[in-house]
Amino acid sequence: MTLVERLRGVFVQALDLGQDVEVEKLEYRGVDAWDSVGHMTLVAAVEDEFDVQLDTDQVIDMSSFKVAADMLKNLGVPEG
Amino acid sequence: MTALRTDTVLADLVHPGSALVDAATGTTWSGSDLLARAERFAEGLVNLGPGPLFLLAGVDTGTVERYLGGLAARRPVALLDPATPHAVLADLIGRFQPAAVLGTPDGERAPEGYLPTADGWRRLASGEAPPPHPDLTLLLGTSGSTGSPKFVRLSGRAVLANARSVIASLGITTAEIAPTCLPLHYSYGLSVLHSHLAAGATVVVTGHGVLERPFWTAVDRYGITSLAGVPYHYEMLRRLRFDPAAHPSLRTVTQAGGRLRDELVTYFHRTMAAVGGRMFVMYGQTEAAPRMACLPAEELPGRVGSVGRPVPGGTFTIRSLSDQDTAGGAPAPRRGRSATSTSPGAEGEVVYQGPNVMMGYAESAAELSSGDELGGVLATGDLGYLDEEGFLFLTGRLSRIGKVFGNRVNLDDVERLLRGRTGHVGPGAAVADGDRVVVFLEGGTVEACRAVARTLAAELRLHASGFDVRPVDRLPLLPSGKTDYRTLEAGT
Repeated sequence: MTLVERLRGVFVQALDLGQDVEVEKLEYRGVDAWDSVGHMTLVAAVEDEFDVQLDTDQVIDMSSFKVAADMLKNLGVPEG
Repeated sequence: MTALRTDTVLADLVHPGSALVDAATGTTWSGSDLLARAERFAEGLVNLGPGPLFLLAGVDTGTVERYLGGLAARRPVALLDPATPHAVLADLIGRFQPAAVLGTPDGERAPEGYLPTADGWRRLASGEAPPPHPDLTLLLGTSGSTGSPKFVRLSGRAVLANARSVIASLGITTAEIAPTCLPLHYSYGLSVLHSHLAAGATVVVTGHGVLERPFWTAVDRYGITSLAGVPYHYEMLRRLRFDPAAHPSLRTVTQAGGRLRDELVTYFHRTMAAVGGRMFVMYGQTEAAPRMACLPAEELPGRVGSVGRPVPGGTFTIRSLSDQDTAGGAPAPRRGRSATSTSPGAEGEVVYQGPNVMMGYAESAAELSSGDELGGVLATGDLGYLDEEGFLFLTGRLSRIGKVFGNRVNLDDVERLLRGRTGHVGPGAAVADGDRVVVFLEGGTVEACRAVARTLAAELRLHASGFDVRPVDRLPLLPSGKTDYRTLEAGT
């Protein structure tokens, strides 16, 4: 699985997203489930799935699916 | 120059030297500016019929102006969640007959009998309800979005008394700069605004939360000195590895809105103390405008788990309970001659007495004309005890109200939803556990539990992770056949 596919799975699971949601275009507060509480669940799930630890700035800046994917690439998670 | 005078409540609530800052634009209004704007706003309200004002209270400077304008017009102002569903808002308008509804969303249709204007809806015909009581100043919702929400009726005297108590408890000086971390329709968020404006301090209005970059940009740009949070904010700040050393101006944090885990109280106390800062734990209810107790940082060591001593002007007594009260889980009947005490260690219902206690509740326009029904005495529905030095420790809830991320949730409503909406056929029971609600489903499966959590979250408009739904073989029962909530609570 690619990074994006894995990340999509993390988002769907952590935010309990329906099939109609365009996950890759999602932004913070873009759906009800991605509020501040959902964000913490999401951050924990991302850390578990990719075995990374996000610092304060990364948690705050992870404001969209795209930002999260780019951040993980920068942290050295292989894209393939 | 103007027919309206900003006497009584407003003049005391807004110190001329205070300031309100719009974080997004940097625009600043002095307290004098705010008072002048409030008066001007009030002039536009003089032709309204009798009744309260409804204000859909976003976290923005326009909301503050409308709110203060309503007070300047000496109208009771009801602050409502701007996300109030249309049907709930329509029901509230029908029951309370507001003279106007301010801050309504663009494009939303005005209900029957109301005329859309540039800033909200105005009632066309005058209502049949008697005018609101002259002391009535502020109306805040009690809880939840199910059933029929009712209002807490607060006098201007109670609001001011509490603002002054908070100023004294936290030592708020004119140098303090607080952000709007919490919604303004929420009593805790509103009390941050009240106490800082009354103290001649500064409030920075931002619609962003602690998980958003613009919030922290505002903290540093405006030299924000304090944060106010409910338990889940502290869970988030812990998760964020919040470090006050990175924000040199930020030296005070306050926590209320439910019980924060002891571990996190200790953690934040130490984190703040390490940079010369302070962590205050507080306790309140909307019914007390809202603050009742405060545990200052210097008194916190050795008393983790306490919510502190009463704020200035307040006292606590503990009403002893009969076995029936403690076992039943249902709200206890108020008896005139029940035993109260302040003796250390005696557990019972926490009763607060002070000038900040509400006048009473209201479920209809007619009840807005009622006077003070409580005489400054509030039975909180919380269970607790006082230690030898008068520090209050809370141990549970007598009434069936839980909290989910700081929002009050009627546990009986949750159980009604279980029966009606979730499709679960077996018996279920809901109990409060800190900042979430634990639901026990008899004979539920893991998938069913997940679906129930989702349904409850959607119906109550709260996050699903606030509902911990667990399967049980059988719910424990009392000899009376009622659900044994204490046993369930012990099992959370």
